[in-house]
Amino acid sequence: MHGIKRRQWTEELLKQKKLQDQKKISEYRDLTKTVLDKKRKEIYTLETFDLTTQVLKINPEFNSVWNYRRDIINSLRDGLAIESWEDELNFTMAQMKVFPKVYWIWNHRVWILNNYPNSPLKIWQRELVIASKVLEMDARNYHAWHYRRIIVNEIEKISGKSMDKSELEYTTLNINQNISNFSSWHQRAKLLPRMFSTDEVMDKKKFINDEVSYITNAMFTDAEDQSVWLYIKWFIKNEIVSKTLSGDEYQKMLKDLKNNILAINEDEVEFSGVQNNWCLKILIVIEDIETSLGITNTSNKTEYIEQLIEADPLRKNRYMHLLNKH
Amino acid sequence: MSIEMSESENIVFLRDKHIKYIDSLDKKQEDYEYWLSEHLRLNGVYWGLTALCLLNAKDTFKKEDVIEFVISCWDERSGGFAPFPGHDGHMLSTLSAIQILATYDALDSMNARDIREKCVAFIKGNQMKDGSFQGDRFGEVDTRFVYNAISSLSILGELTPEIVDPAVEYILRCYNFDGGFGLCPGAESHAAQAFTCLGTLAIVNKLGKLSDSQMEELGWWLCERQLPEGGLNGRPSKLPDVCYSWWVLSSLSIIDKLSWIDYNKLRAFILQSQDEKKGGISDRPENEVDVYHTVFGIAGLSLMGFENLDPIDPAYCMPVSVTSKFKKYPYDK
Repeated sequence: MHGIKRRQWTEELLKQKKLQDQKKISEYRDLTKTVLDKKRKEIYTLETFDLTTQVLKINPEFNSVWNYRRDIINSLRDGLAIESWEDELNFTMAQMKVFPKVYWIWNHRVWILNNYPNSPLKIWQRELVIASKVLEMDARNYHAWHYRRIIVNEIEKISGKSMDKSELEYTTLNINQNISNFSSWHQRAKLLPRMFSTDEVMDKKKFINDEVSYITNAMFTDAEDQSVWLYIKWFIKNEIVSKTLSGDEYQKMLKDLKNNILAINEDEVEFSGVQNNWCLKILIVIEDIETSLGITNTSNKTEYIEQLIEADPLRKNRYMHLLNKH
Repeated sequence: MSIEMSESENIVFLRDKHIKYIDSLDKKQEDYEYWLSEHLRLNGVYWGLTALCLLNAKDTFKKEDVIEFVISCWDERSGGFAPFPGHDGHMLSTLSAIQILATYDALDSMNARDIREKCVAFIKGNQMKDGSFQGDRFGEVDTRFVYNAISSLSILGELTPEIVDPAVEYILRCYNFDGGFGLCPGAESHAAQAFTCLGTLAIVNKLGKLSDSQMEELGWWLCERQLPEGGLNGRPSKLPDVCYSWWVLSSLSIIDKLSWIDYNKLRAFILQSQDEKKGGISDRPENEVDVYHTVFGIAGLSLMGFENLDPIDPAYCMPVSVTSKFKKYPYDK
């Protein structure tokens, strides 16, 4: 059980609950007994289909009943009109609204789309709009992001066209709304290398410079949240950056970034009296890259690590490890 | 919510109440929720039994009854174990069944009716071309199911390079730039997937496939899951939850970086999530308890060496006293 408040039951409340439960239990058990019995006998009819609807409305976690439902659909497939497939999508949508984190519902919806007669492009495109709507309600829903990638992949397969550009725009839109939407930063980090390797980016240098401005802006907007920092730590080490920029340009990019991070950190010290831990953590990463490039004249790594040992005691042993390695 | 260290040290671990709580679970047939959770019954038995083992109270459940129930969950049609009699076999419940039988040293009960042979065929039959596994015949793919398969086959001593090598390749494709693992290639990192992926690699003795720098990144991502209140979350910017005491800690333990989080703070968070009246542990303080969070809270405490609990194996999530007898892969010729 996730996120359910603990209740203190009085004797009286417990008695009431037991009474109410008695009736619900006998109805539910009768229903599931009937369904499992017909399932065992492999009775695939519209009547048994309706029975599965009844069970799943009460209990969407009942995977075996979802399985039975799919077996019924498979068996009746030839006589099913398009409306039936649409009804099934509507049913899963209604279920999803009430239970947005039940794996089986998402799984069933994917199965329906895959089995929809001819599985045409337009139903997948419509589905992408729906996925966006679900993510509007909960921008981090792990299931919905997984679902979205499945849909995009299918659209690309059917249409033969890459959706990287529009998906990148989608992540930008999300991040602009909420910088700590790490799911979008994640997606961005997956899209960029692919776009570079498939030559979807016309002016690579401009693209990298724009991205540097974008992340610089982001870290100035919210330096507390780790999402943007995790992205930066990937970005600055990635080949798309180090190979697109010339050696000098790359070093300058690192240096500018470092100065900006130092500025953010100074602001924070001035404002709250303490340093920003993520600034220190990323400064260490930048200095490691600089060291690997042979630039060693400005290393403050030891100092940063020692400051982190004080400022971020939860992770003290990691910093001790870095210090020993250094 | 955050508690000073001096205060947290005074919170007591409610050992006896947890035992009583777990014991009470199968006596709740008057509760509607008991019947609504049939689809998780076998998993629930595994969680309860494992918690009891760590609490050194294995005899709380009646061994014969449990074994009989496990065998009654076997689904002859698929060859796998269902979570409840009459339900369908699935990879998730199949692993639970095998874990329970192994914990009771009762794997030989699978010899009847060719259960063992058919079960191994079910598991192997769910492997896809790319090395991943589906949960059942309907095609849902997830590293959870790769873990289910590899752990199950390992406990049964039935791993082969034909199964292991592609599964390992698939797991490595789920490693992300931030140092975590996703549910499939391309998916966002999630702490529970760190466990399924690292657990798989550990069981088949392939942790060496990860480079030193990947190990460093993993350790970093995992230790960043600890929040100021002491609890761990599963992804950046999410709330803490007791179950990550297991998913994150077991992963850190597997890569030998367990000490990268603060034990005392995490212990306090887990103990604050106990129900002082009826026992059991919830996802976070003040919430309703359940057996899932109870076992993973206790397992986390065991990994950190608190409360005099029996040691747990981070890769199998079973008592070390049980897993130490498993045949280690690769097998001697």
